[in-house]
Amino acid sequence: MRRALPWLHRPTVRVAPVDDSDRWARLLAGSAQEQADQPLRICQLCVETLGVSGAGIAMVTTTGNRGVVCATNDISARVEDLQLTLGEGPCIDAVESGAPVVVPDLDSPVGLATDRWPAFMEGASAAGVKAVFAFPLRVGAISVGVMDLYRDTVGDLSSSQLRGALLAADAAALAVLHLDLDGDEAFADSVDSRSTYQLQVHQATGMVMGQLNVTIEQAFLLLRARAFAEGRALADLATDVVARRVRFTPEDS
Amino acid sequence: MTHANPPHDPDSSGRSREQALADTFVMLADTLVDDYDVVELLDHLVDACVDVLGATAAGLLLDDQKGNLAVVASSSHEAQLLEVFVLQSNEGPCLECVRDGVAVTSANIDRDAERWPLFVPAALAAGFHAVVAVPLRLRNQRIGALSLFSNTPELPSVDDRRVAQALADVATIGILQQRAVHRSGLLAEQLQHALHSRVAIEQAKGLLAERNDVDMEAAFAALRAHARNNNLKLTEVALAVVRGELDPRTLPTRGTTG
Repeated sequence: MRRALPWLHRPTVRVAPVDDSDRWARLLAGSAQEQADQPLRICQLCVETLGVSGAGIAMVTTTGNRGVVCATNDISARVEDLQLTLGEGPCIDAVESGAPVVVPDLDSPVGLATDRWPAFMEGASAAGVKAVFAFPLRVGAISVGVMDLYRDTVGDLSSSQLRGALLAADAAALAVLHLDLDGDEAFADSVDSRSTYQLQVHQATGMVMGQLNVTIEQAFLLLRARAFAEGRALADLATDVVARRVRFTPEDS
Repeated sequence: MTHANPPHDPDSSGRSREQALADTFVMLADTLVDDYDVVELLDHLVDACVDVLGATAAGLLLDDQKGNLAVVASSSHEAQLLEVFVLQSNEGPCLECVRDGVAVTSANIDRDAERWPLFVPAALAAGFHAVVAVPLRLRNQRIGALSLFSNTPELPSVDDRRVAQALADVATIGILQQRAVHRSGLLAEQLQHALHSRVAIEQAKGLLAERNDVDMEAAFAALRAHARNNNLKLTEVALAVVRGELDPRTLPTRGTTG
């Protein structure tokens, strides 16, 4: 039997220099009093940098919180509101499937948007929406909502725009998680897309969940909070948790 | 890792290489026509690289579309250590394979220290002396790489490398579910799905390891056994465990704390 030891260290690698991710991290880093505005700032950055007409974030969490968190304009707010009210649309599908839903041309017969979301399509068309890109706010089993980008013209996201949108969705997931659980805002800005796929971080999250009898969402924030408090890299702390060198006790929660 | 549904008794010593190869592709074809779990499929593929092609270790990395490669399947600890190093050094065969979309080989890693000054010492320290990385590609898009490592300084035969590329192609088809990919969006849907599935499985492994006091391998085996016994997808089982819909203590366990 071959060994399948815990995932150690950082199983991710940069394919290409990514100026965007550093730029995103810089743009998103803010002072503590600005943290409550973080979701809106993320949406505004999407509009400024990704060639979209508007952006909005809706919260749909396991704690039962559900609603529009923010939107950059009235049409974006309408797009979010319509979908939550009707219970159909790209953002609902993105939450349910856990994967992005990309509709570069709502009127295209190829996408069958009218068949999939007849009521949403009516409202979206009336509002002048031509393309919708919905990104679930998700980390594995953690799911807190969705970020919608829309365009008033037909057109797909370029690969660099897609990269920006995925990074924005990572940041938004963390921001909304903090809103939902009233997390410590001091470290809510520590966006690190590379840690997302350091698999020992996710194993450690599961272990903390078991040690404290908390939800996966709470465990995720507690692990990050401790790494921040101890001035350690998240992956290093996670490695210690997985190796059972570090345990979380109720005092940590 | 063991196959959830071995096509025959895994008596590799009694099977010819051709039989083993045929069995592998039959199993993969069976999987692809069914409703399958993409992460489980990729685990099968890296296992086949070891079982059928004789690799010491194998790993599969995907482009996460944010500028990183992420490991979604690995046959062993050693390969993981290497992937790690690829990350830290921004260099190595997997990286070049994904970047250029062609197979990258080193028949004697020891001699490639100038080419990959950081990768080579790490590979040697992990006991690897040869590597071949083949691309996962769909037309002009490169979505990842399958890498095979050997503990001796020799490459797989030309035939075995062709098989490795075929396995990588199966992985590509499996990830994209044979759907026509003509825009970035659909590819994003499939890739992000696979990446998050792996994350959910790791979260569930962690919870299981803690609750049942077992190591990660035993936790993974328990998830797989439950999925197989109940005809569920691995990712579904993982999500049910993490969301509290399935009590970890009811899962089959064997083994002890590692």
